[in-house]
Amino acid sequence: MRLAIEGIGVTGGFGVGVDALRSALQAGTLSYQNLTVEHHDGAKDNFLACRATTEGLDRFLPKRELRRIDHFSKMSLYAAHLALEDAGLLDADLSRTGVVVATGYGPLKTTFNFLDSYLDFGYSCSSPTHFSNSVHNAAAAHVSMQLKLTAPNLTVTQFEMSVASALLSARQWLEEGRVDRVLFGAVDEYCEVLRYCRRYFFGGSEQGPMRPLALEAQTAMVGEGAAFMILTRDDGSAAYAAIDSMVLGNHSVAPVELPPATLIVAGADGHRECGRWYAETVNNRPVVACSPYYGSFPAAAGFDLVAAALMLRDKQLYAGPQDAGSGLSPSVDSVLLSGARLASLKFGPGGDYGLICLSR
Amino acid sequence: MSVKNKLKQVLIEDLNLEDLTPDMIEDDMALFGDGLGLDSLDAVELVVVVQKHFGVEIKDMDEGRPALQSISTLAKFIEEKQAQ
Repeated sequence: MRLAIEGIGVTGGFGVGVDALRSALQAGTLSYQNLTVEHHDGAKDNFLACRATTEGLDRFLPKRELRRIDHFSKMSLYAAHLALEDAGLLDADLSRTGVVVATGYGPLKTTFNFLDSYLDFGYSCSSPTHFSNSVHNAAAAHVSMQLKLTAPNLTVTQFEMSVASALLSARQWLEEGRVDRVLFGAVDEYCEVLRYCRRYFFGGSEQGPMRPLALEAQTAMVGEGAAFMILTRDDGSAAYAAIDSMVLGNHSVAPVELPPATLIVAGADGHRECGRWYAETVNNRPVVACSPYYGSFPAAAGFDLVAAALMLRDKQLYAGPQDAGSGLSPSVDSVLLSGARLASLKFGPGGDYGLICLSR
Repeated sequence: MSVKNKLKQVLIEDLNLEDLTPDMIEDDMALFGDGLGLDSLDAVELVVVVQKHFGVEIKDMDEGRPALQSISTLAKFIEEKQAQ
């Protein structure tokens, strides 16, 4: 069964809303913030990051209702409302709209805040609000509660495979008729502990530029954001694009089979350890990578999906700013012909892959 | 800083009452319901806030109910406990 993408809502380093992402893709505009993390010994760690804003969420929800909701869930709420608005569904009957959220890390900042309060003040002084917001399904729960959605609600966490894996559930729900519509989201957030871990494990200074298709180089730069889509059973008139199929697997066990005559939107995001899998599979295929527009984080696969859907709707291939000269991609005509097919391909470090094929 | 003023400040910070300033919270304003508009979840958080910032434990509802009426009652409760 094909899924139709009927609405999109996003917040990320590029700004807020699908038009902001489209503008960035069209103009090749990258938006990074200078961040500094001060360590306990006074040393300062300076780096660049793609941060997402939730400024403007009070257009949909009163500030008082948001006061117990953390940044992770606010990003999700914002993107969810924007997706509904984009699809013209803000005032629609949403009683048969399910919620599926994919996240690689969950609400990191709140999780570590809760752990800090436990370590600093003990069990009796650990914040109950931090605890309730620290669980991975907090964002999906806030979305359902604020929008008064009573249909099924699910959060899927499988690091880089979270988005593809969650999409399987969304399709299953629609196929079984359990819901008529799925509010599908992908979200991850930045926090200082994440920066510490990335520096420890990847060593890079994250000063840019991010070159996702320089597959042997570690050029990842941390990002965050939320991308939500309205998915329905496709009747051939999808507002953006249709998702034809999705396949998950492990390339070292069952090699990925890329469909012929399909442009690849690679989820490559500057991680050398994942890069080798793209090098093995997409070499000499037409490929673009859009991760520099939103940064590196597991749920960025949701943004790849959005970028692919935008390209199909606009009939325009938005090449990543660092694609030129990478030597990987043969020249690609920037105009997508009708009938064009795109595939969003995401690899994890161990060869796990998610392949999502889209067409108009 | 007086206990009342510190209470108002930590209430705003820890309960994320971003739309309020300490001056807007009257000493005898009801914390819950029509006054400050806090709810039962805030009550649980308030117990933690009081213990964390003032070192005073609210052990049960019998103790907590009269203490958690207003800034004045809570400040009085904290000062009495701290004096013991």
